[in-house]
Amino acid sequence: MIAPFDIVILLLVLICAIAAISVKDLLSAVIILGAYSFLMCLLWSEMGAVDVAFTEASVSAGIGTVLLIAAVSKTKRRSKD
Amino acid sequence: MRVLLILTVVVTGLILIYGTQDMPDWGDPNSPPSTHVSPRYLEKTLAETATPNAVTSVLADYRGYDTLGETTVIFTAGVSCILILRTRKKQKKVDQNSNPDKT
Amino acid sequence: MFDFIVSKYNYWIYITLMMIGFYAMIGKKNLVKKVIGMNIFQTAIILFFISTASKRSATLPIIEHSHGHEEHVIEAASYLNPLPHVLMLTAIVVMVSTLGVALAILIKIYRRYNTLEEDEILQLKK
Repeated sequence: MIAPFDIVILLLVLICAIAAISVKDLLSAVIILGAYSFLMCLLWSEMGAVDVAFTEASVSAGIGTVLLIAAVSKTKRRSKD
Repeated sequence: MRVLLILTVVVTGLILIYGTQDMPDWGDPNSPPSTHVSPRYLEKTLAETATPNAVTSVLADYRGYDTLGETTVIFTAGVSCILILRTRKKQKKVDQNSNPDKT
Repeated sequence: MFDFIVSKYNYWIYITLMMIGFYAMIGKKNLVKKVIGMNIFQTAIILFFISTASKRSATLPIIEHSHGHEEHVIEAASYLNPLPHVLMLTAIVVMVSTLGVALAILIKIYRRYNTLEEDEILQLKK
């Protein structure tokens, strides 16, 4: 628990979340979601949950991003909103 | 419609924020989740499981059935992914086989 | 007042994050955007659970000097609460499973209707 570090990462996470749902290109949204997952991993290792942090880094930021990129490449890349 | 949407989200958020004033403070050592059963796990983990990492001993030893259920969930998800993405191919094969018969 | 804000601000940021995901789930028309919103929502809930495990001036839940000194007394207040970590470890894996199934259904929808926009699919169904 280091409060300034915590506030900075939480603000970055919020910016990433807003960017991920407002970008029109779906591939960019997926990459921003990957950055969001890694920031979340940093936040958890800062809170002391190291096991959860490396599970998040490998499973959610790794496999989740790969699955989303595969789905976007099989379907359309453009989105209306 | 968009106004209703934003109103729904904001009202839900405000209700949840109203609920946080009864939550324990962040980092409080005497908060309810930290006092009930987890001190026992921390104190007995070396004597009972000989694992220094408390997370591992709770995950694989005290709550092993939980992990077994998690494995079942992953298995079900994998099987359902295969089933969802596979049915289309079968229909194509049937179409290819049935079209020459019709003509 | 300042103490109140310092002890509660992280809950408010988690709720904001959760409401961003909620807005994407119910407001966006694109189905991939809905899946991304679901991911953000689940991550916010996991973040909330992890934050309940933190204690002031406590270290990681790994017992120090465990080999060779097995008789010494362990104080539970100096280690973080391991239980939310374990439960959320399970929840992350379940999150990725739901993501996989959702994307499989999404690819199936795209093969059938050739679009991913919700309103266009509803028009094609009529």
